[in-house]
Amino acid sequence: MSIDKKFIGKTWPRLTYEAGKEKIKEYAKAIKNHDPHYIDDEFARKSKYGTIVAPPTFAVVYGAQLIEPIFFDNELNLNLAMLVHGEQEFEFYDMVKAGDVLTSEAKIMNIENKEKLDVVSIELMTQNQSGNDVCRGVYTFVVRK
Amino acid sequence: MSKASLTKIEKGQSFSVNEEVDKYRAIYYAGASGDFNPIHIDPEFGKMVGLGGTILHGLCSLGFVAKTVTDWAGDPGKLKKIKCRFASPVHIGDNLSIQAEISEIKENRGCLDIKVTRDDNTEVLKNVYAEVEI
Repeated sequence: MSIDKKFIGKTWPRLTYEAGKEKIKEYAKAIKNHDPHYIDDEFARKSKYGTIVAPPTFAVVYGAQLIEPIFFDNELNLNLAMLVHGEQEFEFYDMVKAGDVLTSEAKIMNIENKEKLDVVSIELMTQNQSGNDVCRGVYTFVVRK
Repeated sequence: MSKASLTKIEKGQSFSVNEEVDKYRAIYYAGASGDFNPIHIDPEFGKMVGLGGTILHGLCSLGFVAKTVTDWAGDPGKLKKIKCRFASPVHIGDNLSIQAEISEIKENRGCLDIKVTRDDNTEVLKNVYAEVEI
């Protein structure tokens, strides 16, 4: 059965995430990224950012907590056994600094029904504690029928 | 890889990096990202579902690509956009080749077309595109 297009525009409750300094370092090392902006306190203090900043793709870490409720949404009822991550897009605005409190909201941007699969695109918008945009992420999932 | 002088970038300029997917990479990435899907960390499960073992998280590959661009740009804040399609699995032990070329200069942005292949020349990510502020 196809995923109903009536869910286009559906949103989930906003969630906050505090970007901890040590979590940023852990993530940077996991993607083999040893840029001192992310992992060297002394270098970061003297940099133009004045503190540790997160790699741009750290967006997946604060984004993950929004994706989970969508995967397990009873109304949407995605077939996770048939779901793969098809495409990913990020636009970056303000850098994420250690200690930032980020608030994100998820929305179903689009649903396409094709013959053998459905394509669901979810938009995540994130702002920091100053109300500035930090990131727009578009997660596109393909669900085979 | 030489760092760019981003005031001087021009169409056709290119750079490339190789990234080895070492044995425990998917486990480090699972811990850091919170994505513990067994296809990434359990070789037996990976074989059972026909993947021939564990595969790396697609978003980890995209993280490698973003790193290649920000290393070249010299400032992580210069990366303004990145996108890709996940086309083919990356296995543990694969070597990824990441080749980027400036395809266009648009106002204050350098547009990069990026090719990401594994050892057998299969493109693991497709339509890989990034924009850096110049």
